Amino acid sequence: MRRFITITVLVWLAAAALLRWAPVPVGASPPKEEGLAIVVNQANSMNELSMPELRTIFLGERSHWPNGRRITIVMMDAGRPEREAVLREICRMSESDLRRRFVQGLLTGEILVSPKTLSSPEGVRKFVFNVPGAIGYMRPSDVDASVKVLRIDGHYPNDAQYALRVPERNER
Amino acid sequence: MSERGQKITARGAASFTPRVGKAPEFFSRYGSALLLVLLVGLEAGAVRFVIRDLRSADNEVQRMYASSVLGLRRIGNLQYDAQETRRSTLYALSTENSNLQVQYADQSRLADARVTAGIAEYLKEAELPGEIELGSRLQRDWSTYLAVRDEVLGLILEGSTKEAVALDLAKGVPLFDRVRQSLDETQRLYDEQASQRLLNVANISRRSVIRLVSVLLCTILTAGVFVWVLQKSRMASTLQFARMQMDFAASVSHELRTPLAVLCSAVDNIADGVVTGKEQLARYASTIRNQSRQINGLVSQVLLFASTQDGKGRYVMRPTNIAEVIESAVVGINELVMKAGFTLEQHIAPSLPLVLCDATALSQCLQNLITNALKYGEKGRWIGIRAAGEESKDGRNQEVRIDVHDRGHGIERSEMQRIFEPFYRSPAAVSNQIHGTGLGLPIAKNLAEAMGGRLSVTSELGVGTIFTLRLPVFDEINETEQKLVQQ
Repeated sequence: MRRFITITVLVWLAAAALLRWAPVPVGASPPKEEGLAIVVNQANSMNELSMPELRTIFLGERSHWPNGRRITIVMMDAGRPEREAVLREICRMSESDLRRRFVQGLLTGEILVSPKTLSSPEGVRKFVFNVPGAIGYMRPSDVDASVKVLRIDGHYPNDAQYALRVPERNER
Repeated sequence: MSERGQKITARGAASFTPRVGKAPEFFSRYGSALLLVLLVGLEAGAVRFVIRDLRSADNEVQRMYASSVLGLRRIGNLQYDAQETRRSTLYALSTENSNLQVQYADQSRLADARVTAGIAEYLKEAELPGEIELGSRLQRDWSTYLAVRDEVLGLILEGSTKEAVALDLAKGVPLFDRVRQSLDETQRLYDEQASQRLLNVANISRRSVIRLVSVLLCTILTAGVFVWVLQKSRMASTLQFARMQMDFAASVSHELRTPLAVLCSAVDNIADGVVTGKEQLARYASTIRNQSRQINGLVSQVLLFASTQDGKGRYVMRPTNIAEVIESAVVGINELVMKAGFTLEQHIAPSLPLVLCDATALSQCLQNLITNALKYGEKGRWIGIRAAGEESKDGRNQEVRIDVHDRGHGIERSEMQRIFEPFYRSPAAVSNQIHGTGLGLPIAKNLAEAMGGRLSVTSELGVGTIFTLRLPVFDEINETEQKLVQQ
């Protein structure tokens, strides 16, 4: 009887250990992504930009729009997935590299204005709405009629070929 | 008697009301009701005016509140929101934090939306040309200012502070000053309207008070006049009544004194032993009996009048043969007629319909009329009684008409109205020493009316007088129907 109890306890302990250290199941899908919309003021005449043009703008290499308005870059707070996507896909540099680049640019006079940092997509949207030369980014679900979404390389954020992507927001 | 004779109907002149002038009598009878009606009318008119004024004042106050007071409040809000628009824009200058700047921009835009809506509402409600012009100007200036404000806000947010301040000083400040001036002007306009409406309300209130006081004064004055007239007419009536009572007392006393004197004298003679012999005693007894009857008759007449006066006499109304009643009345009074040496002629139409009346009361009524003819028909010493059927005035009913004629001196026109008044004696009758109490005709009239009939008189001076008594014919079918309904 004592042997039976010992075996039962051992079996239970073995089962618990197996469940505890079980590997991730094969075939689990990677996190979903969505397009990241590039938005400008409704008064802006631009409708489309290419990825290289976007890069020159976000790196501060281009300071004015074709109509002469000064470009004001609007970024979100560091650490947000949207900002990370921009750094990764557009700027192609790390947070610190970008910060360093702008500090140097402002000192040398190559860059006129450093990017404006806002804490929420709503803030970005309102900023872009108020400033005619502003350009920012946000998820498509945060876009409304107060701002204009640009086509990037001929595609809108909902298109499958859209290059600028960001992991879907975790609603939980 | 001639048709040219004067005629008067006694119906309605029955009650024992002292005769005074027409107007005072009218006031005496209907004065209180008239006064009440007049006062109610005046008060109703006054109340109507006052209510109208109060409504008018109330409407004016409501209009004042709706347009001026609310308008002033609205303009106050507009002024505050306009300042808020500008203040929030300038607050954005005070920080470099983009999040805060966006919040200030938001506040500025919310405030400017309220101002825009307020101006649109003002323009929508504007009626006067001045208001419309002012509203349009305000709307225009505000739009222009907002365009500059947007520009300034954009510059502040993108970090171009110097350019933003320069633009605001160059364009924003002058434009905002214009907006402020327009708002001040709107406020002044509302102030003026409110003052004007306040003045209107004050005028209405003053007018209402004047009207009310005037009407109250008129009411008091009218009431005073009416009370005075009423008192005067009542005083006149009272005096007349007292005079008639005295006349009556004198008349009755006079009528009683003669037989009483005879009675006293006869009794004294018997007591003193002056009367001797059986034959003389029998003559004295006859005299005493006659005088006693006369006194008794007078007292009976007074009592009869009193019983008919209130109209509540108990009458036994039965279908009655008029010919029989006339015959009975004539038999009852025939002795007097014979003694007075009068000729009495009767013309009773054959087959007269039955009349619904009290036979005793009708007989009394006829006897009074015949007695009256005996008293005043001395000249012709002839009395005629005629009875016939005829249609009523409206032609719907049948009546029996009984005429009692005499060929006396007739009645003067001025007397015609008064002969049915109780205790009235004509001056001519008094001077001719025709005895009477003035109750015979009033009693006859009261009796006639109590039985549903009417008594009228026509007379011509020097020719004679006809008293006509009309009584409704007994309608057997109607009577049966009424009984059935009662059952």
